[in-house]
Amino acid sequence: MNNLYLLVTIAGSRVALPTATVESVIEIDGIEPVPLVAPHVAGLFALRSRVLTVIDSCASVGLGQFVWNSHAEAVIVNCDSHGYAILVENVDDVVEPSASVAPSRAVLSADWARVALGTIEVDGEALLVVDPDALIAGNVRSIAA
Amino acid sequence: MDDLLVEFIAETRETLEALNGEIIAWEAAPGDRTRLDSIFRFVHTVKGSCGFLNLPRLEKLSHAAEDVLAECRADRRQPDETLVTAVLAIIDRIAEVTNALESGESVSDHDDAALIAALAPASEKSSEEAAEPTPAAVVQAPATTRGMSRSIRLPVDLLDRMMAGVSDMVLARNDLSRRLRETGVDPVIEGAFERLSHCIAEMRDSITRTRMARIENLFSALPRMVRDLSNELGKQVMLEIDGSDVELDREMIEMIRDPLTHIVRNAIDHGIEAPADRILKGKAASGRLRVSARQAGNQIAIEVVDDGAGIDADRLVEKAIANGILTADKAAGMSWHAKLQLIFAAGLSTAKQVTSISGRGVGMDVVRTNIERIGGTVDLESKLGNGLRLSMKVPLTLTIIPALTVSAGDRQFAIPRSAIDELIRVSSASARLGKIGGGKMVNIRGRRLPVVMLASFLKLEPRCEEHELTMVVLKPAGGDHYALAVEAVHDHEELVVRPAAPALMACGVYAGTTLPDNSHPMLLLDPAGIAAAAGVLTEVEEQEEITESADAQLDERAQTLLFRDLDGIERAIRLSLVERIEEVSASLASFSAGRMRLSQDDRIVPLMSCCALPEADKYRVLRMTDGTANIAYAISEVVDIVSMEFTFERALQPGLIAGVALVDGRPIEIVDSFWLFADAQKEGLLPERVPVCMIAGDDPWTRQMLAPLLRSGGYRVTFGETGTATDADVIILCDSQAEDTLSAEAADTPVIRLTAHPDAADEDHVYRYDRNRLLDVLRVKSERRRRAR
Repeated sequence: MNNLYLLVTIAGSRVALPTATVESVIEIDGIEPVPLVAPHVAGLFALRSRVLTVIDSCASVGLGQFVWNSHAEAVIVNCDSHGYAILVENVDDVVEPSASVAPSRAVLSADWARVALGTIEVDGEALLVVDPDALIAGNVRSIAA
Repeated sequence: MDDLLVEFIAETRETLEALNGEIIAWEAAPGDRTRLDSIFRFVHTVKGSCGFLNLPRLEKLSHAAEDVLAECRADRRQPDETLVTAVLAIIDRIAEVTNALESGESVSDHDDAALIAALAPASEKSSEEAAEPTPAAVVQAPATTRGMSRSIRLPVDLLDRMMAGVSDMVLARNDLSRRLRETGVDPVIEGAFERLSHCIAEMRDSITRTRMARIENLFSALPRMVRDLSNELGKQVMLEIDGSDVELDREMIEMIRDPLTHIVRNAIDHGIEAPADRILKGKAASGRLRVSARQAGNQIAIEVVDDGAGIDADRLVEKAIANGILTADKAAGMSWHAKLQLIFAAGLSTAKQVTSISGRGVGMDVVRTNIERIGGTVDLESKLGNGLRLSMKVPLTLTIIPALTVSAGDRQFAIPRSAIDELIRVSSASARLGKIGGGKMVNIRGRRLPVVMLASFLKLEPRCEEHELTMVVLKPAGGDHYALAVEAVHDHEELVVRPAAPALMACGVYAGTTLPDNSHPMLLLDPAGIAAAAGVLTEVEEQEEITESADAQLDERAQTLLFRDLDGIERAIRLSLVERIEEVSASLASFSAGRMRLSQDDRIVPLMSCCALPEADKYRVLRMTDGTANIAYAISEVVDIVSMEFTFERALQPGLIAGVALVDGRPIEIVDSFWLFADAQKEGLLPERVPVCMIAGDDPWTRQMLAPLLRSGGYRVTFGETGTATDADVIILCDSQAEDTLSAEAADTPVIRLTAHPDAADEDHVYRYDRNRLLDVLRVKSERRRRAR
């Protein structure tokens, strides 16, 4: 059960999210932007009576801003008892890889390295495993710098 | 049953369940140290609690087991199978007795001694049999009595999830309700929907209650604290606790625990004097401390009252001046109450030397900050030498905050109401916006405040001109006043506020998020955070001069209320005459005795309007007073309050409209308030001015014939027995009554006697059906009487 990964597309790359903290995947529209916050915080979104903080995954890995189509898909995760909706470009599948997470051998860009947990192999393709918590935290250092 | 006992039973049972596995494991491996430790901890806890709760039997059992286990832990004794069995027997007995405690049954204690004896090392055992009954008791134990428990322990997390579920349900209900209204629906479905709504409301109520706890949890620690502190300080304190059954949010109780402790400690430490001093001052040797709680609407009021020395506000001021917090000039104009507030000033209260002088102070600023953080208020009242009353008001729950919704740059935000001092429009006369070095200041009634333009502060596109802005004057906890310029003010609402995600909190200007009925998430602004982020400086003490010049200006330009009248025309009236503007239910207005009147608050006032009142549920009225008389004037809506010079073109004829003036290039009719009051009074309608006529003798004739006649003549009528004192201007006696029955007080009141004979009339006697003469005599006498007064 804990070994399931959600395959999504972030900033044009297919990556895998561990499902341990993932609640659901929803379609999202009409978010309320929040002034003055870090660029990776896209705004607030009401999922029934819950207020979710929407995270722009592109901005979080330092690759520009999320491009809105008519609607967007978001992965709902729970982190420290706050609900977040991570905007992703595409939600593909849930997989259970045979092997566990291996350290990435490719040389990653600094922003990807910050959110990467390692790689898994799915259908002969190596996919980066991304830590949702790191996406939520955003690129704190680059803001501070 | 005692709450503490219930808690003890629940806790013991819970640990026992958790311990079950340990005990079995220990049995298998008596040498296992960690198992031994956890069992030891259990019996130790039970022993401690039993001593506290006065349960000697359980205490004896657990004490015996603890002793043996302690020996094992100290390696003085090796745990063997007999010992393990004996300890287990004791633990089972503890479980049995605990269950019995709850169900109120009794467990025979004849073999308790045997159980304890079984713990002794084999060599000390008097006989082999001693251990024998033990297993039997163990087997029986679980079979006996486990009372049906009516309380369970739940993780708060689960409650939160239930709460969220109910909130979802309420939103779904609101949505459904809107759709039903839009489509118009079968009454049968509507009835079912109403029932559903009712159920949801009830459910929300009970779920909310699960988060509530009695304030007793907070108060129960006080007696001990008061006892310890007063012993330590050599004082005598009598503690009274009231309102322990008031309920409030569990988290809220935790939030006020420290402030309350602090206040009570201060009261004993610095407030209540030593017994000898008290006797010298003529007070009882033991001081009284009263802690009470009560619910008032959506708030809980907690009061701590002592009869100690109180706070000397003047010494507080001296100290504040010495510390440079206050200037002597400013102090001179301060009220006693304002001076007392200095106790909350940060620089003052934390200073040590102040404590020894003023009595209170260490950390009162912290107390206030903590209380204000949770949306509460603190106030105090001090009678020097007679004690202090400190009152806190906190909201029922942490999550519901009264807030004002405003907008800036097309977005809506909420501001906690506790931080708001006043709202004022930039266009009004008492506020002037100015610029200083790129920054903005607003001058409100002579007081200059820094301005934070909310839209540009939040980097939003401003949506309106500067003169359309509204200033929200804020007084954040622990900070100074400043004005937040917003584009519109919407509503006062009670909002359910949740903490915002760390990424949002990080920017320091938000206090939380909320979801209003329209399902668009909204942010709650943090007034203190905004002040800090915008760099608002400490208030400048340069108010006095400005005040004067501003006052001088105000005199020439009168504050004028612009309103839309019932006929749709914009009119203006002097604001100083308008006491208040209010909405009144149409049922209070009625046409009686010749004109429209508004009956409210036990008074009847003439209700004026420019034309006939329209059909409506409610009327908006201006309540006006000229100092003595009151009238109400019905209007359609208030447009604005402007400052304008009172020069205008006179109207051709005297009437409701005095003339017309130009306001912002528009001709506006000026209401003639003089005429308005004159018109209202010409009928002598104002109760304050009406002469009173007392009819002595209450019978159908006087009530139904005489009284209406007198009332139509403009008199107020009272009925009284002869011989009673009266404030009447004239007394009317019927023929049969003799004057000598009147009391001495009434003797100098003019009297008119009514006779049944048309010919028997002189100055004091009037034929009862001679209407004109009766009114004439009445007028003459009441006027004479009034002059005499």
